[in-house]
Amino acid sequence: MMDCIRCRQSLLADPHDADPHLREHLAGCGECSRYAEELLRFESRLERALRLPLPDSAQRPDAAVVPLRAKSAPRAAGHRKGWLAMAASVLLALVVGGALWLSVPDRSLAAAVVTHMAEEPQAWRRTELPVPTPELREVLRNSHLRLAGGAGIVSYASSCQFRGHRVPHLVIQSESGPVTVMVLVHEPVAAPVNFDEQGYRGVIVPVTGHGSLAVLTRGAADAATVGHIAARVLASIVWTG
Amino acid sequence: MKDQVGGNQKRARFQALCQSLRPDLLRFAFWLSRDHALAEDVVQDSMLRAWKAQDSLQDEAAAKPWFLTIIRREYARSFERKRLVTVNVDELIEREEPMLAAAEEQELAEMRAALFTLPDEYREPLALQVLMGLSTAEIARELNLSGAAVLTRLFRARKQLRVLCGVDTTLDPQE
Repeated sequence: MMDCIRCRQSLLADPHDADPHLREHLAGCGECSRYAEELLRFESRLERALRLPLPDSAQRPDAAVVPLRAKSAPRAAGHRKGWLAMAASVLLALVVGGALWLSVPDRSLAAAVVTHMAEEPQAWRRTELPVPTPELREVLRNSHLRLAGGAGIVSYASSCQFRGHRVPHLVIQSESGPVTVMVLVHEPVAAPVNFDEQGYRGVIVPVTGHGSLAVLTRGAADAATVGHIAARVLASIVWTG
Repeated sequence: MKDQVGGNQKRARFQALCQSLRPDLLRFAFWLSRDHALAEDVVQDSMLRAWKAQDSLQDEAAAKPWFLTIIRREYARSFERKRLVTVNVDELIEREEPMLAAAEEQELAEMRAALFTLPDEYREPLALQVLMGLSTAEIARELNLSGAAVLTRLFRARKQLRVLCGVDTTLDPQE
């Protein structure tokens, strides 16, 4: 049986540690359990502190275009601007093209996602308390994935019935407020579907071999921000099957 | 023609991958260097290296550690090139103040200032764990340490950080 000292040492090294002996101790020790909760609040603050707001220039869609510049070239060289402008126009064309590509079935999927959101208003609560790791793992397990941690604080996790399947419904606290994510492994889409309906703004993005991912906000973020958040969540998903 | 289409698709996928990871890589480089200009240079040069070496990335799921390794090496190279001298932490904080406190509440600014004062050997594994989502084993591989050594550093990092942030540490364990 793990003692209190060992339990708190483990928590300080990793507050999300899912070791069964640690969890067993927490279940039976009120003081350590309160300590774990306080540590999770501290962790949430730590994560927000590490996740610095980046300057707009670093978040532009064209910022990741490589190669950006020759190693010895000056930062604001004219030819680089030309490259970036060209790359930006290509990306813009892709985004607009993607939006125009919307098919009727994909539209109806977006409508179903919005309807589902409206049915679970409690999920939108703004909180700093993350869902305990074992609970989150359980929700994600049936869809064969786990979150590597770069996505942000997951404050809500539920396995929901959606169009005949159980799907993970998560709420992630982002710098733009709560963002809902639905992992729709049974719902492939051909191209990104942007939508702005009933006060919800979001995007459904295709995930090769794993259906799609729906990301929604309640209108606080613009489409570009929603796109960035979707890309970040996607990058943090580790598929396990 | 077919090869060209395949090559274009591959480049597009790699570009999308870079785009999705870049913000967090930039943050990581910033916490590594505590210098936003250097962080931008390191990430940009790393992207260039990654672009050239993209064929060596066999599995996209392993992209994050792959990029992190490139960034850490690039940072080490820049350190060797520029022969940076140790600077006063207060000066560093003052210089990066707009980045640390931009439109955020006071407690986050305090936490960021505290992170600045943590020794590199504690700040780096903490950023890898909390910001980049790496497991203890992945951090151990990245830093070439044992799992136990990583856990000790993470323990000390949080312990110091809590003291620096003025949190009630009466329940914090001793080592």
